[in-house]
Amino acid sequence: MSDSQIGFLLVLPALILFAVIILYPLLGSMVMAFLDKSLVFPGEEFVGLENIQRALRRDFLPLLSTTMIFTVGATVLPFLIGFAVALILNGRVIARGFWRGMFLLPWLIPSVVVSFLWMWIFNANYGVINGMLRELGLVAENINFLGSRNTAMWSVIIAKTWNTFPWITVMVLAGLQTISRDLYEAAAIDGADRLRSFWNVTVPQLRGVISTVLLLSFIWNFQHLETIYVMTTGGPSESTTTFAIGVYKAAFQARDLGEAGAIGLLWMALLSVIVIVYLRFAVREDA
Amino acid sequence: MTDTTRTLDLPDMVTGTRNRTRDRLLLIGGFIVVAVFAFFPIYWMLVTSVTPRDQVFSFPPRLLPATITLEYYADFFNNPALLKYLLNSFIVAGSTAVSSVAIGVYAGYSFSKFRYTGRRALMFLILSAQMFPQTLLLITLYLLFAQIGLLNSYWALILSFTSFTLPLCVWMLKGYFDTLPDELIEAAKVDGASQLTIIHRILLPIARPALISTFLFAFIRGWNDFIYALTLGGADHMTLPPGLVLTYMGEFQTSWPNLMASSLIVSLPIVVLYIFMQRYIVAGLSSGAVKG
Repeated sequence: MSDSQIGFLLVLPALILFAVIILYPLLGSMVMAFLDKSLVFPGEEFVGLENIQRALRRDFLPLLSTTMIFTVGATVLPFLIGFAVALILNGRVIARGFWRGMFLLPWLIPSVVVSFLWMWIFNANYGVINGMLRELGLVAENINFLGSRNTAMWSVIIAKTWNTFPWITVMVLAGLQTISRDLYEAAAIDGADRLRSFWNVTVPQLRGVISTVLLLSFIWNFQHLETIYVMTTGGPSESTTTFAIGVYKAAFQARDLGEAGAIGLLWMALLSVIVIVYLRFAVREDA
Repeated sequence: MTDTTRTLDLPDMVTGTRNRTRDRLLLIGGFIVVAVFAFFPIYWMLVTSVTPRDQVFSFPPRLLPATITLEYYADFFNNPALLKYLLNSFIVAGSTAVSSVAIGVYAGYSFSKFRYTGRRALMFLILSAQMFPQTLLLITLYLLFAQIGLLNSYWALILSFTSFTLPLCVWMLKGYFDTLPDELIEAAKVDGASQLTIIHRILLPIARPALISTFLFAFIRGWNDFIYALTLGGADHMTLPPGLVLTYMGEFQTSWPNLMASSLIVSLPIVVLYIFMQRYIVAGLSSGAVKG
């Protein structure tokens, strides 16, 4: 057997598994966009573009705008906080190794627990944030953070931020360690202060890390389900219903696979654009 | 390097120290802010889980409980349904991680050290799988498992979890094999070793740290999953994360202290693994192959 045959044989088990549990389900779900099909009742009927047209008319724009608000919020906020934590932990902090370990804790915690925890913190009747706001006299009445249209999305974004910022910290810290001290010394000799050397040395040197982290966060948040599902199930009045929630509810609550497939197909089309951008970027880095 | 003498100017050195004090204060202030954001929620989970009920359900909440109780932890271990979910979590996350590593190690090695047509395309197909929406796969997986009678079984959970752990494992292990020199394999070949011998006798023993780290990531991802376990597991095979939702949510009054105690229990195995394996986890995480 030639080496390339052996090479192929070694990938084969992974490939078969990949085809059965990833590729087939992905394509299968998108094909449902063209069918009238129920989750529970047998039988299906080809309906052409009917589901997609209906989804475009009715659900697409609200879902897109909700998804974008969540995605941008849950990408930018953790990025800023995670970056700041990395800079702080890269400075002269006592017990730096210990803190680097500790700051990863929020990332380790299961997303369901993150949701429970922030539901409790934001709780309308006994929540600690309401308690503090009232004690400080900032609000006269408790705020129903998760139950009102204005605050539900932000509450979910904050919970998600708490969960993901450590990942960004780790990535940025790893990047910071690759920057040569000489560059900072050269900048200092040129008379650059801290802020200036941050913009002229740190940021350009981290460009690769920053793009990777932002692109991946964007892609993952664009399809994120769990935190939102547990905290609000898409409510109140659909104000946190993203594509992921919309597809899940169409399939498993309304049991309308045609609708779920149609929303899913549109969602996947948008997602593919970003994934292709990322893959091109990753290939370039890899080469 | 235009004006090196400037750094020797006395006034500049004075502002320099002033700047340094300001930087120091900024650093400390920043540290306190982010530390409160990162750790207060964990503190609050801990405090709620030991606060007697009448104090939990009073407003405004107390940052320190007047008395503490361990009854909510006892409640967890006296609840057979929750214990069953906990056991399911270990079975499913463990089996998923073992099988993903076992299959992923061969694929990772092949992608890293062999050259054949289609290799790059396959590699990026598998990489991109981490970016396909789980929710979309779930619909067809549900129908597929229903059709072949696997719905509501461990198999449904292990197979569906593998859809996100396998790409992760392949990618992490490929990254690891990339760091091993080709000469190692060439030398073994010269000695007449077959490919299988090379993998099992030479590579796997060297790769142990990478295998452990990959296993841990796969285990954590499986342990933390919610939506597949909720939808495909059924009451008997469900893992702890959806189990907690079913047990505590949707009641008229959620029992927050019970939920916080259970939340700590479900987080604990992951945190313990992390304490012992921190080095491996941080290395894997910063390799960029892992979902944040």
